[in-house]
Order: sequence, then C-alpha cells, then structure tokens
Amino acid sequence: MLKKLFAFSLIALMASAAHAIDGDALLREVDRNLEPSSYEMYRKLINIEPDGRKKEFVLYMVRKGNDKVAGVFLSPASDKGRGMLRLGENMWLYIPNVGKPIRITSLQSATGGVFNNADILKIDFGAEYAVEKLEDKGEEYILHVKARSKTVSYDRLNIWVDKTRKLPTKLECLTEKAMLIKTLYYKEIKDFGDGIVRPSVIETDSPLYKGYKSVMIFSKIKKRDLKDEIFTLTFMPKVDTLR
Amino acid sequence: MIPCRRLLPGIIAAFLMAAIPFSPVAADEYSFDVSETEKKDYTFGGYAEFRPVLAAQDKDAGLYRLKFYKSGGTRAAQEYNSKLQLEGSYQRGISRLYMRLKSDLNNTYKGWNSGTQIYEGYLSVKPSVSADIIAGKKVMRWGKGYAWNPTAFVDRPKNPDDPELPLEGYTGFSADYTKSFEGRLKTITVTPVILPVYHDLNDSFGSKKHLNFAGKAYFLFYDTDIDLLYRAKGSKPAAYGADFSRNISTNFEVHGEAALVADTPQTITDEKGNTSRKVFDAKSWLLGLRYQTEINTTYIAEYYHNGGGFSGAAIADYFSFVDAAYDSYTGTGSDALMQKAVNLGNSGYGAANPMREYLYLRISQQEPFNILYFTPALTSIINAGDRSFSLAPEILWTRITNLELRLKAMFLSGPGGTEFGEKAGDAKAELRARYYF
Repeated sequence: MLKKLFAFSLIALMASAAHAIDGDALLREVDRNLEPSSYEMYRKLINIEPDGRKKEFVLYMVRKGNDKVAGVFLSPASDKGRGMLRLGENMWLYIPNVGKPIRITSLQSATGGVFNNADILKIDFGAEYAVEKLEDKGEEYILHVKARSKTVSYDRLNIWVDKTRKLPTKLECLTEKAMLIKTLYYKEIKDFGDGIVRPSVIETDSPLYKGYKSVMIFSKIKKRDLKDEIFTLTFMPKVDTLR
Repeated sequence: MIPCRRLLPGIIAAFLMAAIPFSPVAADEYSFDVSETEKKDYTFGGYAEFRPVLAAQDKDAGLYRLKFYKSGGTRAAQEYNSKLQLEGSYQRGISRLYMRLKSDLNNTYKGWNSGTQIYEGYLSVKPSVSADIIAGKKVMRWGKGYAWNPTAFVDRPKNPDDPELPLEGYTGFSADYTKSFEGRLKTITVTPVILPVYHDLNDSFGSKKHLNFAGKAYFLFYDTDIDLLYRAKGSKPAAYGADFSRNISTNFEVHGEAALVADTPQTITDEKGNTSRKVFDAKSWLLGLRYQTEINTTYIAEYYHNGGGFSGAAIADYFSFVDAAYDSYTGTGSDALMQKAVNLGNSGYGAANPMREYLYLRISQQEPFNILYFTPALTSIINAGDRSFSLAPEILWTRITNLELRLKAMFLSGPGGTEFGEKAGDAKAELRARYYF
C-alpha cells in the first residue's frame, strides 16, 4: 500500500513538473538560442524541384530587436541588389531597376519556392505567437502556438523542441482550420562562435508544392549593434555597405 | 545592312547557349562557400536584352498617319530591339561611385539606329547611416502609384505599359537625412533636391536658366508611408503633393497620391487647327490597391485622375484636325498642317495617356499549377472617359538562373476619335529575352 502511494505520488509530481514548464518562457528561450536579438548573417536559399534542378539565392541580413529586419540579395545576378525590409508588420521590397521600395505582403515570396517573405524576414516566434498548449514527448516538447494577431502569416504553429538544447527540430505551419501549409526541418547544429550554437540548415516542404523543397543555409551569424536608421526605406539600397 | 530575319535565329541561339551552364544539375548536398559572401570594393553587372516585336498597324488611325505620312508604313511591322545595360560601383570609405549605362541597337521602321546614354552616374558620400549626400545623375522615383505617379515632380514620366522599366535620371544635388523613433512615428526622412537647367544640362526637364529646388519629407506614421512633396517654380511650374501607402492586412495594400501643379500651361487645338493656350491649376490624384489571394493571384488596381489631361472633346478635335491635315497633305502635297499636328502631338496630345480618367488593372498568377518561376499576367489600361482600352496578356518564365523570358501581346480597342482607337497599332506581340550577368 505504501509502495503504491509512493508510486502515485511520484507520477503526480512528474506530471505537475511537466505542467509547471512555462510554454511562453520556453518559446523565448528557443528564440534566443536561435538568434541573438541584434545580428548580421548570411543565408543561402535553395529551391529544389522534383527532378533535382536547383535555383540558389545568397542574402546578407541584419536584424535589430523584435521588429526590425533588413536584407540584400548578393546573388544571382538577376536578383543582385534587391533589398528587403521589415519594420513590425510592414514589409518592403526594393528592386534596383524599379528604383524605389514597394510595399509587399508577408505571404508573397521574393524568391519563389516554398519560403515566403515572412520566412525570410522572420522575427522571434514569441513576438508573434502565444503558447496554447505544451506536450511532453519524451526527448522533445511540442509547443502548440497561436498567432497573437490577424496580421501574422500563419494562424498556428506546432514546434518540436529538443529538451536538452532548447532548439527547434521541426515546425509545422497551419491555417486557422489546422490545414498544413508547410513543414520546416531544423538540421545540422553548428557552433557559429560567441555562444551561438544552432541548426545551420532549415529544410522545408509543403503539401501545396508537392515534390518541391526549399532549403535555407546559415553562415557567419554574428552579434552586431545596429542603428535604427539602417531599418528605413532610405537605407534599403545601401544595406550592402554594412558588410 | 544585315537582314534582321537572318540575325534573329543567331541571337536566340546565343541566348540559349548562354543558358546552358545554368541547365539542370544533379542534386547534391547543400553547400555554402565562404567565397560567396566575400565583399569587394567594386561591383559590376547588368543585362543584355533582345526584344523582337511584331505589330499590326492601323493605317486609318491618327497617330499612324502622323508617324508614317511621309515614309508610308506597312500593315505589319517588325522591330528588332537589343539593349545592353551595364552598372558598376566603387566604394571607398564613406564614398561610393555608381554608374548605370544603357546602350541600344535597334532595327525599326526608321532603319538601324543605336545610342548610349548614362541613365545614372553619381557620387554618394555617407558621413553616417542617417545621412547621404549625392551629386550627379540620379533617378528619384517619387510617388507610390504603380502605373502612374502624379507626384513624381523631378522624374521623367514612366511608361504605364511597362512601369518597371529603368528610367533616366536628371543631374543635380540631393541629400537624405533620416531619423528613427520609437512609438507611432517610426521614421522621418528629409530629401532636398537641386536641379540646375542650363544649356545642355537637364535641358529636357523644362525651360532653361533656372536653378530648380524640390524636396520630399517622408514619415512612417501609424504603419503608413506618407510623403509630402514640393517643387518650387522654376523650369516647371510650382507643384505640391502628398502620397501614402499602407498594408491593411498580410495580403492587402492600399496607396494613393495627390498633386497640384499650379499655373499649368496647355495648348489646345480645335478641329481646324486653330490653337489657344490656357493656364490652370492641374489637380491630379490616384488611388490604388494590391491584393493577393490564398492561391497567389495578385491584383493591382489603380484609378488615376489626370488633372492636366485633355478632355474627350479636345482629343476628338485634335484627331479631326489630324484627319483634315492628312487630307490636305494627300490632296495638295503640302505637309504644313501635318507638321503642326506633329508639333501638337509632341506638346502633349501624343503622350502615353493624355486624357483625364484612367483605370489600370493587372492580374498575375504566381506559379500556377505548381510550375515554379512561371508567372502569367493580364494587364488592362482603360480610358474611363472614352471607354477605349488596351489589353495585354503575358507570360514570364525565370526558371533558368539569370535568364528572364517574357512573351507579351497587346491589343488596343476603341472607335475613331478615342485614345486607344487612334494609336498607331491595333495589336503587337513581343518576346523579351534578358540575360543578367
């Protein structure tokens, strides 16, 4: 009887410990482990077609805080000099031939393929989503999060988080009616230096683009102090000068 | 002279040869070489373009007669246009030199012609991220409209049939000063501009011997882009304007412009060619939206009131005069009246959209049926005053890295005396092959 009572108490204690984990705090920890709040980095985006043909884009990107992201395409030649800017929910695209920034929406894609503008100009999960439910799946948690406002690109996310590293391993993007839009797989954990250890590759596929795959590879992630004026329309054609 | 029909297959073959290194490769592991991120002090790039055009001419149209009354055109006309755009920059410290050149080699009804222009060429000095001082030839691109920009006070007009074409700038001095804030007002940028018009310098801007001043103040306020714009009286009349752009939701953007050009001069003609000049305050405005559906269909719609445009009656009078001038030319052999009609055309009647009320609609479908890098689109410009219109279907294919292929057709419709009914062509088809390097 005493043994049974002890076992029951232990199970109850473990269950309450799992419940005690603050989902939003975990999401914040995941955000900080993925990226410093102010940084510069290089990214390569690869769109892969079902027959293996590829198209690649290289970007230089900077971010400050939770609402400012800017980037410029370094290659291919057809996209070189294109700039992207996010200020809160506002997004712009600068095309050198057009010569002025135009407003874009988060659901559009500047590169084609499975990644859209919101994926490229991503800010912290915690800034856009609130945790609704936390599931304990042994070596991983699953965070079920919901958009804080209607202006966010995906209504819901399911995020698989490695318990040890507090880093995402998989992420599902869903509509309000729980229809799957795309799945992101976080791979190849790498030490970028200065305490930044995170997946260096994100693969994504989508039931909307059957057989197609897009990949984002990260390089040279560095903490950097940046002035607010960098994240303005006037500075968009000049982001490359920061390198 | 080399016949174009013999040149065409060779040029197409050259483009395809250029594309071969970018043809399918076997999938392998992802790599990101550090050399791909290295920065050089200089950049160099550009594109080569070949654009053959086949046009069906309307031999009874007013603008056809003005264009071909001496040379005599044909019902079907071919053009072979080629373009090379080169751009480069050199950066040292806080200074950056930038240059963009355009070279054309075309074979049209006028025969072979070629030319090279500096579209932009300037020195930019950036003492801080907040400030930029620019001297040289630069495009300003003021305004938020996609097809038209009534507030583009210091720019050349863009082509509404192809609004994303590069423009040639004007030579002068400008500066940007930007300040960011926390709160509802996030950004302010002030842009003063000085444009001298003397002798050959900026002589197409307006009347000579003026030092022109203009300026723009930009605000990002309540998540809305707002510009206040001004051009002082000089080579052109004084102008005042404002524009805005805002995302209503993740897939819906609205924008608008309003402009007042004070004391705008306009020469109008009656059906006999008697001209009169009036001066008035031209008030123009534009309202537009960009909407994207769940299946990636993008709609761009704009309504444009061109306050400096001609009324329907004025345009009808002009084309009646063109008809009378043509009859006079064919009857007497004297082209004095035709010359007068041509001059009036150059003074405004022959502009891309010379009338007052326009509707622009563009529907494009990004990657339909999961075909990546393929975008079909349909564009229409409707003259809401006389109900004439243009309709332009196109397909764009960018599958091969750095090669952009666009096939576009355009059909014009309208009875005699209307804007699109009196354009020189009824229809045209063009292929644009552009290779970036």
